[in-house]
Amino acid sequence: MADTDTVKLKTETVKLTIDGREVEVPKGTLVIEAARKLGIEIPFFCYHQKLKSDGNCRMCLVAVEKMPKLQVSCSVPVSEGMVVHANTTVVQEARKGVLDFLLANHPLDCPICDEGGRCPLQDYSQKYTAYGQFKEEKRIYEKEFFSPLIEKEMNRCIQCMRCVRYCDEVIDSKALSSVNRGYHIEIGHYGEKQLECEFCGGCVQICPVGALLNRLPLYEYRPWMLTRTETTCAYCADGCSLRLESRPQTREVIEVTSFWGNETKTVWGKGRNEGDLCAKGYFGYQFVNSPNRLTKPLVRKDGRRDGPLVEASWEEALERVAEEFGRIKGLHGGEAFGALASARCTNENLYVFQKFIRLVLGSPNVDSSVRYGMVNAARALTELTGTPRWLPSYEDITQADLVFVIGTDITHSNPIVGLKVKAAAKKGAKLIVGSPLRPRISTLSHIVNLATRHLAHRPGAERIVVIGMVKAVLEQGKAAAGLAEHPSIARLRETVSKLSQKQIESATGLSYDAIRAAAEEWTAASRAVIVFGESIVRARDGYETVRILGDLALLTGKLTAEGCGLAPLYEENNEMGAYEMGVVPDRLPGLGRLDHEPDRERVQRAWKEPIPTGPGLTMIEMLAAAREGRIRALYLMGENPVGTLPASAGAAEALESAEFVVSQDLFLTETGEKADVVLPAASFAEQNGTFTNQEGRVQPVRKAIEPIHGTRPDWEILSQIAVEMGHPLEYQDGAEVSHEIARLWPACRPGGPGWREIPGRSEPAVAAERYRAERLTEGISERYRIDSGEKVPASSNGRFHLAMGPLLFHSGKMSLQADGLMKIQNRPFLYMAPEDAERFGVGEGQSVRLRSARGPGSVEVAVKIDAKYPPGMVFFPESFNEPPVKDLLTVELDKASHVPVFKTAEVVIEKIT
Amino acid sequence: MNPETKKVEFSEKAQKEIRELLTHYPDKRSALLPVLNLAQAEFGYISEEVMIMVARLLDLTPPKVFEVLTFYTLLNDRPVGKYLIQLCRTLSCALVGSENVLGHLKQRLGIEVGETTRDGLFTLRTVECLASCGTAPVMQINGAFYEKLTREKVDRILDDLKRGDPPVLKPMGEN
Amino acid sequence: MKYEKVLHKNLETPGYTGSLADYERQGGYQAIRKALKEYAPTQLIDLVKRSGLRGRGGAGFPAGTKWDFLPKDPALTRYLCCNADESEPGTFKDRELIERDPHQLIEGMILAAYAIGAKVAYIYIRGEFVYGAQVLERALAEANRAGYLGKKILKSGTDIEIYLHRGAGAYICGEETALLESIEGKRGLPRNKPPFPAIHGLYGKPTVINNVETLSNLPHIVNRGVEWFTSIGSPPKSPGMRIFSVSGHVNRPGNYEVPMGITLRELIHEQAGGVLGNKKIKAIIPGGASAAFLTESSLDVKMDFESIAQVGSMLGSGGVTVMDEDTCMVSAALNLMEFFAHETCGKCSPCREGSSWLVQMMRRIEHGHGRMEDLDQLVRICNNIGGKTVCAFGDAEIAPILSTLKHWRSEYEYHIKEKKCLVGNRGGQLLTIGKH
Ligand SMILES: Cc1cc2nc3c(=O)[nH]c(=O)nc-3n(C[C@H](O)[C@H](O)[C@H](O)COP(=O)(O)O)c2cc1C
Ligand code: SF4
Ligand code: FES
Repeated sequence: MADTDTVKLKTETVKLTIDGREVEVPKGTLVIEAARKLGIEIPFFCYHQKLKSDGNCRMCLVAVEKMPKLQVSCSVPVSEGMVVHANTTVVQEARKGVLDFLLANHPLDCPICDEGGRCPLQDYSQKYTAYGQFKEEKRIYEKEFFSPLIEKEMNRCIQCMRCVRYCDEVIDSKALSSVNRGYHIEIGHYGEKQLECEFCGGCVQICPVGALLNRLPLYEYRPWMLTRTETTCAYCADGCSLRLESRPQTREVIEVTSFWGNETKTVWGKGRNEGDLCAKGYFGYQFVNSPNRLTKPLVRKDGRRDGPLVEASWEEALERVAEEFGRIKGLHGGEAFGALASARCTNENLYVFQKFIRLVLGSPNVDSSVRYGMVNAARALTELTGTPRWLPSYEDITQADLVFVIGTDITHSNPIVGLKVKAAAKKGAKLIVGSPLRPRISTLSHIVNLATRHLAHRPGAERIVVIGMVKAVLEQGKAAAGLAEHPSIARLRETVSKLSQKQIESATGLSYDAIRAAAEEWTAASRAVIVFGESIVRARDGYETVRILGDLALLTGKLTAEGCGLAPLYEENNEMGAYEMGVVPDRLPGLGRLDHEPDRERVQRAWKEPIPTGPGLTMIEMLAAAREGRIRALYLMGENPVGTLPASAGAAEALESAEFVVSQDLFLTETGEKADVVLPAASFAEQNGTFTNQEGRVQPVRKAIEPIHGTRPDWEILSQIAVEMGHPLEYQDGAEVSHEIARLWPACRPGGPGWREIPGRSEPAVAAERYRAERLTEGISERYRIDSGEKVPASSNGRFHLAMGPLLFHSGKMSLQADGLMKIQNRPFLYMAPEDAERFGVGEGQSVRLRSARGPGSVEVAVKIDAKYPPGMVFFPESFNEPPVKDLLTVELDKASHVPVFKTAEVVIEKIT
Repeated sequence: MNPETKKVEFSEKAQKEIRELLTHYPDKRSALLPVLNLAQAEFGYISEEVMIMVARLLDLTPPKVFEVLTFYTLLNDRPVGKYLIQLCRTLSCALVGSENVLGHLKQRLGIEVGETTRDGLFTLRTVECLASCGTAPVMQINGAFYEKLTREKVDRILDDLKRGDPPVLKPMGEN
Repeated sequence: MKYEKVLHKNLETPGYTGSLADYERQGGYQAIRKALKEYAPTQLIDLVKRSGLRGRGGAGFPAGTKWDFLPKDPALTRYLCCNADESEPGTFKDRELIERDPHQLIEGMILAAYAIGAKVAYIYIRGEFVYGAQVLERALAEANRAGYLGKKILKSGTDIEIYLHRGAGAYICGEETALLESIEGKRGLPRNKPPFPAIHGLYGKPTVINNVETLSNLPHIVNRGVEWFTSIGSPPKSPGMRIFSVSGHVNRPGNYEVPMGITLRELIHEQAGGVLGNKKIKAIIPGGASAAFLTESSLDVKMDFESIAQVGSMLGSGGVTVMDEDTCMVSAALNLMEFFAHETCGKCSPCREGSSWLVQMMRRIEHGHGRMEDLDQLVRICNNIGGKTVCAFGDAEIAPILSTLKHWRSEYEYHIKEKKCLVGNRGGQLLTIGKH
């Protein structure tokens, strides 16, 4: 059995000869790739590894013995004994002829073309001495305003269609079209409209010439004037590799590229994103040079709380902080401090932060934005498999034969993992999507459109859907071999058997048959991954829902099996890092538990100092404690609770009650405005370090420019305060921090060992078995309850389910400072179904009044009609605080994980008369 | 315009035809050309709204419809006259005088190639070989062939059409 | 000479309307009865192979051999497509077969579908054939009603559906892979080959594409046998009858069904009634616009695949265009070049850019703005296109210029030197017909 398997896995190879040299490559390899393997360069334009061969440019012609004509090496697969001549005179002349054609109508305006200097048309023309034989009238395309971000210069287009093919085949956005026929072909959108699309920038990057260009840096540079820095994206937790193209002299980030080897665009796909980016990655980096960046510390005038914030010198500000911290610590002890960090910071900054809080301030009260939901998954996953990191990789998603996506509008929340799911679907994987959203046609891709099975459940019913699947699996008697007999599984069966199909149907709005069919497919699959996101992780019962997903996977043998497992999606780039760096009250760097003596011991030994015992307070507890006067000082590093939490969470009051508040940030946030000292921090582009993506990959962050004048990296600020406070926490540079972390925890090193090698951690399968035996039945009836009356409001009585969440073009508040993203969308809308809009008689852009069904307050908000939302559901992008829709929400605390749940609400919509 | 906004609708008859069409192919997209042909018959030309409606019907994005629409010369993305005159200009017709016919048509209609008469009745186009070289010179008006054209015959045809006699579809050699 | 008609037999029968009843009265639909009873699909393929029937669409590929390329795995879905896109300038034979004898084609398609195991077949008909499409729709409905099509045809175990798919104006959709793309609802862009449609065709499935005339031959081959078929025409390589569409400067333009291998002279002078006004012939295109021009010195060449190839042209689609002594060869070549420039799909660079480049140069020459070095440049551009494109369109579009330059270079030179036409241009008829 095993033997035949390995035989099957061994790929067949083929031997061929190119320019007299023999090479052996896997069957199906294209001649152009085989040549590359030999180091023989074959020129090309239309070919691209990510795309299906199209063979349209004819640049890659080669001679193949026994084949009648010259062949396009980008489209011909190798065959045994093939003899290829890649550089004969005939071949060279043919390529020169092709160049002649491509240059015929090209404007030859290289001096004013942004692509000049990294353009294969330039390079090959030089190489093949094609100097243009064309003496007729050139074809002139009228200049068009394609979009605020993308410049279209069709006269330069060589009609290779890479942009259109990329948009169709990879992004699935299908927003570009090749318009007209023959000589008059051009790239377009449709009709006379401006381009509306996902703005992933892929078309710009994939264009070999200067026909599609990024407008943001247009005419700003020649490629060789830019310094290129490979780094990791700071938006979502997909963890894309990208390059900041910058001008270090002026400390400016000019543009972003991702495809490696841009000059000839011959090498593709570095990074977890394999070269792909989303709008935020490609167009979202002007925030670095935003005029709104803080460049001077701010302090309250004369130290009075009610005084205005005024600029101060670093010395003054740091002294002030050290003094106040020292005073409060002296009077009230470490417990009087609360500290919150943003999971957008680097591992190094986060590490120094928690160390500063724990050692210098002596406080156990340290938490971070992982509290908004990530901890739900991290906790559950750690219990289930012994690690918060994903067991499946992105590659496992692409290669899965079934992907179950639930609780996420993935194009918007995690676009690159979305691409992996799309790739799987296109390869023929089954795609079960649990989502209240409807399929719809637009030039923004929509994962529901690709679903092979769509479980269109009621908004907020994710948990019950999964319960239904667990029940169906057990009813089908399909628990994985050997598991069925276990008492814990029997308990589970007994528990779910008490839930009636009716209950499940009425809570989810799905037919039980549909759930059963999905369960059957799930059980039958052999490589299967569950991808889930904000509507589970940040929602009510998030922790329990993840556990139920874990149960489903466990039951069917897919929790820890090769290529299988759970894949929670996170919004912020370094949530995994923040958790692993111990920026939560119950964990230490390296995931040690604060209440576990050996874990503490290990860290204490490294730090040579005792760590305050916990458990510390979590975010919401901290804010409450501040309001009650138990916490007297708050340190906020990049975290903005006032801007994030609904007003009812009382963050503003907490800040007002505290004696001393420090906000350290790139911008003056709602939280900063209430602080006593505001410290301007350097962005990720201005320092070295690491981010850990949701998968658990530790990736490098590299300094592209020196810190914007007046700003400092977080770790530096922290150590300076420490020194001021007489408690040295000194580092010479970021690298030193990285080394300390790696010493403490080797798994946190780029390319360092993954979960499998984490010392002292058991294998996931062993952990899963322990979970099954010891923990599965824990809280089982609570976990598998179905609350009666947990119904979603029907829109007929004006009541709606409001969901707040991420938007493809925005993330957190950072994106609001990015010029490019603001050009795509600079104001929020309330998204609603056309049926509802019609009922309210509102057209696109007109406003309605939104009122909480439970609490006071109302706001007016403009409507956008989007058929993907079902009637009765409305969506508002969480990045926007104006109008203050978030303040209509109430906060509910997850009992298990202390996650503040506030992303959905029951609201009433009224027509404005 | 928001692609979800509904503005135009196929007639009952066309909808029935489309339902039937969809059974002919293993995927919806294949019905695109037939549906566009139907749409043109129904609405005269493929406006942006029609394009969006067709896209929605076949689970395509409007750009994917647009690129097909602009590839095929018989599909119009803007209005044309009631009678679309397509005169063949290719070799066999040219050899026996299509140029003269064209001159005559231009003069009679008072328009240039590509234009529409002010009354909206006639649009004049030259087209490539219509597969009627044996009965050259030829033109097609709204699908009907008019063969072995002479000045007199052209006059007669235009007069008939102006009078309201519709073009009649006939086999080769009979018109 | 008069020849026994085969494909034209019915439609030349007085009173024949092309209805099912008429077709049956003429002995129609007997071939499928016979085939279903007597031949297993592989035997039918073998029969057609032995008949030597070659494609009538352009390339002249042996039909049976093409069918035999299909993978043998019975689990695979296969498709048959009838190429009724007939757009090759000078060709109008398929249109007549469709309009006047649709059931002959349908019967041929049923035979082909049965042989290759296709349950679904499409007729891709050019959008301009509005009347032809109506005729075919009607005929298909009749055939369905009569049980020749549909589930278990003629109570056999075989299911065959035929659907009509109308194009919308694009010559290139006659190229077989562009045709497939067009059926799939895309722009009609030819695919790179290999893989050939026999392996990876419509919807990625094994597919056979055959021309209307090719398919219309099948009932006769089945009815009358291989021996009969290989005894007519120009065996062994070009057996059978061939419909030639004769147009241009002849007295009786039209479609003529004759045995393959009759001479051009006979075709033009006897069948088509000779040259208009008794003028001398200057040039002949023997097989549609994609075929090289011949001079009247080739009048005695036999109209079969090999003989025409030997004189440097091709039998192609069977569209024979005759040009008399007063025709300007530069403007004739320009006319066709404009056709190609208008019809290139634009997918591949040599063809997209080259076609308009050639048109611009030809226009200059025709209008008296040529330069002597243009002539070598024309050849150079043509050679940079030929053999380097995705599809055979590229080879086709250079034929008019290369062949006229070869035979009538002096006319080009005269245009350039004298800035006018060598011949008394028939009342200016052939002067460029402007941009359109
Ligand atoms: C540019 C181009 C246009 C063509 N147009 C037609 C056409 O209109 N009708 C046709 O039957 N074949 C046409 N062909 C030939 C087809 O590609 C194909 O060879 C033919 O349909 C096969 O059928 P047959 O083997 O029965 O001839 C064309 C080929 C090319 C390269
Ligand atoms: S040769 Fe011409 S028609 Fe054929 S694929 Fe290339 S561009 Fe299109
Ligand atoms: S790269 Fe091969 S044809 Fe363009």
